[in-house]
Amino acid sequence: MEPAEIFPHSGGVIGVSWLMIALPLLGAAILLLGGRRTDRWGHFLGVAMSLASFVVGVLTFVELLGLGEEQRRRVVELFEFIPGMVNMGLLVDPLSISFVLLITGVGSLIHIYSIGYMSHDPGRRRFFAYLNLFVAAMLLLVLADNYVGMFIGWEGVGLASYLLIGFWQHKPSAATAAQKAFIVNRVGDFGLLVAMFLIWTTFGSFAYGPVLGAAGDANVPATAIGLLLLLGACGKSAQLPLQSWLLDAMEGPTPVSALIHAATMVTAGVYLIVRSGAFFQAAPTAQLVVTIVGVATLLAGAIIGTAKDDIKKALAGSTMSQIGYMVLAAGLGPIGYAFAIAHLITHGFFKASMFLGAGSVMHAMNDEVDMRKYGGLASVMKVTWATFGLGYLAIIGFPLLSGYWTKDGIIEAAMEHSPILGWLAVIGAGLTGFYMSRVFFMTFHGKRRWAEDAHPHESPAVMTWPLILLSIGSVFGGAFLIVGNRFMTFLSPAVGAPEEPLGFHPFSVPGITTLVLVAIGAGYAWTKYGRSEVPAVAPRGSFLTTFARRDLYGDALNESLFMRPGQWLTRLAVFFDNRGVDGLVNGLAAGIGGSSGRLRRIQTGFARSYALSMLFGAAVVAGALLLVGNL
Amino acid sequence: MTTHYLVLSALLFSIGAVGVLVRRNAIVVFMCVELMLNACNLAFVTFARQHGNLDGQIIAFFVMVVAAAEVVVGLAIIVTIFRTRRSASVDDANLLKY
Amino acid sequence: MNNTFQAPTIEYGQLAPLLLVFGAAVVGVLIEAFAPRYLRKSFQVPLTFVSLLGAFALILVQVFVSGVPTAPAAMGAVAVDGPSLFIWGVILILAAVSVLLITDDDHFVPQAAAVPGSAEEDDALAEGAAHTEVYPLVLFAVGGMLLFAASNDLLMMFVALEVMSLPLYLLCGLARRRRLLSQEASVKYFLLGAFSSGFFLYGMALIYGFAGTVDLAGISRALGTVSGQDPLLLIGTALLGVGLLFKIGAAPFQAWKPDVYQGAPTPITALMASGTLVAAFGALLRVFWVALGNLDWDWRPVMWGVAILTMVLGAILAITQTDIKRMLAYSSIAHAGFLLVGVIATGDARQNADALSGILFYLLVYGITTVGAFAVVTVVRDAGGEAGHLSRWAGLGKRAPALAGVFAFFLLAFAGIPLTSGFFGKYAVFAAAATGGALPLVIVGVVSSAVAAFFYVRVIVLMFFSEPAADGPTIAVPSMGTAAVVTVAAAATVVLGVFPEPVLRLADQAASTLFIR
Repeated sequence: MEPAEIFPHSGGVIGVSWLMIALPLLGAAILLLGGRRTDRWGHFLGVAMSLASFVVGVLTFVELLGLGEEQRRRVVELFEFIPGMVNMGLLVDPLSISFVLLITGVGSLIHIYSIGYMSHDPGRRRFFAYLNLFVAAMLLLVLADNYVGMFIGWEGVGLASYLLIGFWQHKPSAATAAQKAFIVNRVGDFGLLVAMFLIWTTFGSFAYGPVLGAAGDANVPATAIGLLLLLGACGKSAQLPLQSWLLDAMEGPTPVSALIHAATMVTAGVYLIVRSGAFFQAAPTAQLVVTIVGVATLLAGAIIGTAKDDIKKALAGSTMSQIGYMVLAAGLGPIGYAFAIAHLITHGFFKASMFLGAGSVMHAMNDEVDMRKYGGLASVMKVTWATFGLGYLAIIGFPLLSGYWTKDGIIEAAMEHSPILGWLAVIGAGLTGFYMSRVFFMTFHGKRRWAEDAHPHESPAVMTWPLILLSIGSVFGGAFLIVGNRFMTFLSPAVGAPEEPLGFHPFSVPGITTLVLVAIGAGYAWTKYGRSEVPAVAPRGSFLTTFARRDLYGDALNESLFMRPGQWLTRLAVFFDNRGVDGLVNGLAAGIGGSSGRLRRIQTGFARSYALSMLFGAAVVAGALLLVGNL
Repeated sequence: MTTHYLVLSALLFSIGAVGVLVRRNAIVVFMCVELMLNACNLAFVTFARQHGNLDGQIIAFFVMVVAAAEVVVGLAIIVTIFRTRRSASVDDANLLKY
Repeated sequence: MNNTFQAPTIEYGQLAPLLLVFGAAVVGVLIEAFAPRYLRKSFQVPLTFVSLLGAFALILVQVFVSGVPTAPAAMGAVAVDGPSLFIWGVILILAAVSVLLITDDDHFVPQAAAVPGSAEEDDALAEGAAHTEVYPLVLFAVGGMLLFAASNDLLMMFVALEVMSLPLYLLCGLARRRRLLSQEASVKYFLLGAFSSGFFLYGMALIYGFAGTVDLAGISRALGTVSGQDPLLLIGTALLGVGLLFKIGAAPFQAWKPDVYQGAPTPITALMASGTLVAAFGALLRVFWVALGNLDWDWRPVMWGVAILTMVLGAILAITQTDIKRMLAYSSIAHAGFLLVGVIATGDARQNADALSGILFYLLVYGITTVGAFAVVTVVRDAGGEAGHLSRWAGLGKRAPALAGVFAFFLLAFAGIPLTSGFFGKYAVFAAAATGGALPLVIVGVVSSAVAAFFYVRVIVLMFFSEPAADGPTIAVPSMGTAAVVTVAAAATVVLGVFPEPVLRLADQAASTLFIR
């Protein structure tokens, strides 16, 4: 089934859906411009704006449900952005509204949680301003009805992410991590920009309606556009080969890791691929590359997750891996879209709940992140333990919890497409069972390995309530979406639907194998980390462990592939131009800088030499004119 | 023959331009600029004669007025810098460079 | 022969903005003559603002009530057409904003006649004297700018050029601190400016010799009647071009710009970098499109060379500058080059309108950002006045995050990063040039922009990622005027970057009628 037609819309709640973006943006503006005057109530304003956005989102959703199924793609025209090129509008359809509810819902919970988490931080107001800015940009990203608007949101979330990773800029590691995220993302953005140029030159429009409607035409360079869009998605969603920034991004405050680097922003790549599905369906090569990237990342993320002792980095590895699943599903075409987005939503719940749980643990342990210094926390932090535990069970795919439904759907769909992909995804699920159990047992069970001065305690209610609400989502969300193909039916007007929807087979061979592998992984983790002694210092480990600990040498690879040759080039250039300036400029710049340094000597400071250059210039101009005139 | 006047005007203009380049004293440099303006006046008047209309002659009057205004401003600036530096050499004003 | 004298008709309504500004300037001179010293500033400041804003209001009335005139005014000497009115509006806004900076007494010398370091100077300082003459001077300069951009014959243009320049020569020499530099800037600007007007005038004489008239439309008609190329015309065009290119600071006539911008009092630099540039581009366009439009096959290749040289030279030389004002001066040279790309993008009427609208928009956004950037420069100070040296700006982001952030934003706008006004300015001009067949020029422009982006980003890195100097500059508490300038400029840069459409449309409308003849 093809996606439904897009209808113009005005009036009603949908007509004012721009409020969803405007309110948090207003919040950010007030908080940033208001300065210290807003310190006392700033965080409440931030929460209120996010909640208000959520309320508008829900009302929009309700109004959308009231329309007929084929009528559910509405475009609200806002204003002419660039005359003759871009008309800014919002596309409210099942796909974007799913994201809206996730972003504003989970976002609001995380806002509330942050009131407690950041209560002692002098920069709390600034923090909420950035969070609001993020929510606004993310909503623009998913709601815009054209690629330009999407790109502005895309850059906006990048900016907010950059500001929030480096929020504690007094820590050099945080500042470095922020810059790394910034630079790696530029590589992806470059792909996205070139894709947009191609789209403009091919279709003469940026709006989704005309562009995607004609994406299947014969003369469209769909493969090129698809691959470039994928490059953009890889940057934002930390997929191979642009994954390296995500682990470092954990330097930011934990609510940020939960909201931006787990639940929402990093899934923007999946949104991009699903939204631009028409290009990928027209280009099987691009689709194949998408699935390969997805599978490779889901395995790489899982392997990295097995070896990290830093609780946030282990969770970040798992985020990479889970997004790998989504990208894999998105690469499968209409059969996978619903599962990709459903997994994205359930993942938003359980991963946010685990990240916030980790934050709660860190809050209790004086910001210690090394899991080897945890252990036995279950007895002192009951709520955190329970909510984290439910998230943990959901992510490993414990039967009937959220992850079970959505991840199993992806595996089934991949199996249908190609058994190799399917089995690799099954192995990934097994690894998930191992590394997530490792995190859970090392943190909450086994012997207490706390530092001398640690006095863990349960976090305040303002932090635990969001955890509880999120874990409700991680328990029931999957079943709600998947049973009876409810979500697929809802989503189909926006993204199309497969010829015959995939039935749910709980007792298929892959399904059983997955469960068995997960059980083995969890059991092994229990014997290794739950029951037996965990050494306080990480053992040397095998070659494989080192490999995983070093992020699969992702950084080393980047260094040797990109940085080193760059540095060599620079040195070469400096060698030829050893008058390079100040050491400030390097590489190509050294050449320009060197010539600049010499050229500026023509500015002698003597008025007479300026007059000479003018006379000379006048003579040249006159001579040239005479020459051209007499040709 | 009006051509001779034009040649004279071109010569005067060139002498003025070269004077700007070779003289150091700001006052003399400025007088060379005035010479250039007057060379223009000669050209205007000559062309007015050639074309048989009065525009060129009127322009010459305007140019004279403008040149006079320029003298006022120019002398003020040059005198100020002379009082500060005890030198009217344009080459001495050489702090701003590169 | 018909001996009856016909009185010329003057369309006072159309010329009202000009007359208001000049009239206010004359009144300002009278105030200097008759008002007691202590009252002068309180007369001059309101008078200046009222005349500038009043002139702006008169323009609005002209556009929205009377309609844009379709024939030149004052016997064909002044053309008040769509582009003129847009440029007038831009100049008046920029001038009003610059005057906000000028009202801060701290920038001007108390007694220009006193030798620097002398006892008289100390006395004048202690007395709190101030030269309120700056206000009428600024008004004369602004009036000259308005007339320069709208003159429809070369004589009027020459007079306007001088009326604009002469007050600026003086204003350049009135800086309160570093007076040697200021006076040097003044003398250099004056001598080179006078030299260049010599070229302009001689070019005008030669063109008069060719056409028998200095009326722009008349020159255009004369061009249509001759075949074959007259050396008189070609050399005249070249010399006229030299005079105009000098004013916009195009290479190889750019040498004065860094020295003068650095030495002049910063509010005056702001006025020159914005207002003068706008006016000079208005005049340049009028001469080359209206009078010499039929000659474009000849001047276009030369203009290509000038544009390329200007962009490249401006961008490259800016890299190694160590003084912030000097760096901005080179950046202004590079921007003049980008604008020249738009001047070259001529073709059919539609194409011309596109290019013109791009240039008009670019002038507005560049001017506003420039004034904002120089306003920031005025508040970063150390013991000897403004902290010009870039090394003093290191770590400014930690000391004054808001100020450094705004400045970084202005720099990004200069660099033409999307979501700043600079992006749409560059985009409009380059797009018009690309469709006009000047693709190689656009490529050079984009590459130079990339080089230029490098030194803008370098300053940002310096401000935010370097350790602050131990005895770094203090951030003066900006006066109301300066704060207002920074705020207005930042707001305009954001709004025009995110929502440029209304102003783009206005520029489109202004450009749609092209220049009247």
